[in-house]
Amino acid sequence: MDQKEIYELLAEKLGAAALGFNDEGVEAFADVEPGGIADACTFLRDDGRLAFDQLMCLSGIDWDGYDENGKGKSVKILGYTDEGQPETSDRVGEGDFGVVYSLYSHSLRHKFTLRVRTPRTTASVPTVSKIWSTAAWHEREAWDLVGINFEGHADLRRILLEEHWVGHPLRKDYQMPSQWENVPLNGQPYNENPFPKPEPTPDPTPDQPSGDDPAEG
Amino acid sequence: MAIENIKTTNGWADQDHVPGIKSELLELNMGPQHPATHGVLRLVLHTDGEIVYKVTPVMGYLHRCAEKIAEGVNYKQWVVYTDRFDYLSPMTCNHAYVTALEKVMQQEVPERAEHIRIVVSELSRMASHLIALATFGLDMGAWTPLLYCFREREVILDLLERISGGRMLYNYMVPGGVRYDIPKDNWASDVIEFITMIENKKLDDYNNLLSYNKIFIGRLANVAVIDEKTAYDYGCTGPVLRGAGVNFDCRKDDPYSLYHKFDFDIPVGKGEMGTVGDCWDRYIVRVREIEQSCRIIRQALESLPEGPYSAIELKKIVKAPAGAAYSRVESSKGELGHYIISDGGQTAFRNKVRSPSFCNLQVIEKVGVGQMVSDLVALIGSLDIVLGEIDR
Repeated sequence: MDQKEIYELLAEKLGAAALGFNDEGVEAFADVEPGGIADACTFLRDDGRLAFDQLMCLSGIDWDGYDENGKGKSVKILGYTDEGQPETSDRVGEGDFGVVYSLYSHSLRHKFTLRVRTPRTTASVPTVSKIWSTAAWHEREAWDLVGINFEGHADLRRILLEEHWVGHPLRKDYQMPSQWENVPLNGQPYNENPFPKPEPTPDPTPDQPSGDDPAEG
Repeated sequence: MAIENIKTTNGWADQDHVPGIKSELLELNMGPQHPATHGVLRLVLHTDGEIVYKVTPVMGYLHRCAEKIAEGVNYKQWVVYTDRFDYLSPMTCNHAYVTALEKVMQQEVPERAEHIRIVVSELSRMASHLIALATFGLDMGAWTPLLYCFREREVILDLLERISGGRMLYNYMVPGGVRYDIPKDNWASDVIEFITMIENKKLDDYNNLLSYNKIFIGRLANVAVIDEKTAYDYGCTGPVLRGAGVNFDCRKDDPYSLYHKFDFDIPVGKGEMGTVGDCWDRYIVRVREIEQSCRIIRQALESLPEGPYSAIELKKIVKAPAGAAYSRVESSKGELGHYIISDGGQTAFRNKVRSPSFCNLQVIEKVGVGQMVSDLVALIGSLDIVLGEIDR
C-alpha cells in the first residue's frame, strides 16, 4: 500500500492525535502525538489492510540543536580534549526527544515510519512493548542511552551500561566521564589520528654486531 | 524479580515434587566467561534442578557506544567501527552501513562495485556460517567439525585478505563503491575454485559428519521450538526466522544492491527431524545457505562488468543532505539495519543500529523457560549470536 494511503487510514482512526505526514525526504514518515502512539501501533498491527507484524527498529533520538538547514553545524557533541580530559560546557540541552518506529508487514510487504516527539522536561512516551515484544529491549536501550521514559514498560532497566551509570550518553549535552570506578579514562579527541606517524628510526650502522652473534648466545 | 514472584508466575509452586523432599529455586550465573555463550554474555538463570524457570540475559560487557562515536567522526571514518559489530562477517556489516548511507546521500553505485560487494559479502556470510556450524557442533560435544570448518574458513580469510588487505576486519567498503578493485592475480578464478570445492565436496562432508549424525539430531530435534508467531513478535530475523518456516529474506523480499539479478533459493525449516522451528531446523538452514551463497558468488563473478569500482574519489570527504532513512540488509545473523539522520554535514546527527543478534537473543527470555540447562546451550548455539553486535 502507498505510504500516503496508510497515513490516511491512520489519520482517520486517530483523529487529532495524527499530526501530519511528510514525504518530501528520502523516506516518508508520519508524526503522531505521544499519547496516541499505543493506539496507532495497535491499529497498524491489527487492521487487516495494514497488518504491520514486525517492528523493525525503534530509535531514541535527542533532537537537541538539530537544524536541517545548518549544513552540519547543528550541535557539537562533547568529547575529550587533546590532553585526554573530558570537554566541559555550561550549555544545557534544549529541544525535544524523539522516538522513531520503523514498521514492516510480512504479509503485505509494505513499510511505514512513525515519529513521536516528547518535550525534554517530561521525556516520556507510552510503551509499545505490549504490542510487539521486541520493543521491550529496544525501549530499554532508548532509556539507557537517551533517557526516554516509557510509561507502562514492565522492566525498564539499563541494558548496555552499568546499572549505576550516571547520565545518558546519546544526549547531545552529555559530558564524558574522567574516570570510572577509579580507573582513569584518557579519551581521544574526535576526528584526529590517534596513531601519529612514528619518528623515522636511524638506519643501523653496518659496524654493529648482528643478532645472531654466537658470543651472545 | 524476587524469587517468591517467580515461583508464582511460572507456576513453580504447583509443580509435582518428590514428597517429603524440600526443593527451592537456585539462582545460577551462566557466564560471562562460559564457552557456550559465544562471547561475554551473562545469563542469570533460576533453576529447579535441571529445569530453567527464568532466564535474564545481562549484556554490555563489550559496549563501546559506537553510536556516540558516529556523531563525532565523519561518515567514512565510521566504516571501520561497523567491522567490529559482527566481527565474524564484517563485510555484511560494511555493506549494511554503506547501503543506508547511500540511501540518505542518494548516491548511485557503479555496477562493478555492487558485484564486488555481493561477492565479498557472501564470502563473509559463508565464513560466519562455518563458524556457526563449528561452534554449534562444539557446544553439542563434537570437536572434529570445528577443525574442518576452520580449515575452510581460513581459505575465505586468505581470499578476503588478498582483496582488502585485512585478515579479519576489512574496512573495505566506502560510500560510493569499494576501496580496492579485484586483484589481478587470478583472485576471481581462485574464488570459483574454492566455491566449487565447497559445493561438490565439503558440504557433503559437514552433512555426513554433523548434520545427519544420529546423536546430533537426537540432541536437537524438538528442542527449543520457536514458532512463526513468536518469531514475528520478538522481531527474530535471519536463520532464526527462516528456521521457523517463514520464507523471508531481505535479499529476495526487500531487495537491495543487485541481489534481484541473481537466481537463488531461500532455505526454510521444514521440521524434517521433528517440529518446525526446532534447533535442528535453524542449524540446517545455515548449512543450506552456504550452498546458496556459492550460487550467488558464481553468478556475480561470471557476470562481473567492467568499469569503475567506486563513484567517489577515495580521499574525498562525503556529505549527506539533510534527511533520515532506515535501510536494512540481510547479514549472516539476520536483518541488520541502520537508521541514519543527517543534518547536511559530514557527520551523522544520529546513527541507530538495529542489530539482528540483539533482537534474536531476546527470544530466549520466552523460549528458554522450561528447558533443561543443557538444552539452553543448544538454544544459544542455534541462535548464533555475536556479542560485538549486541553490545555495540
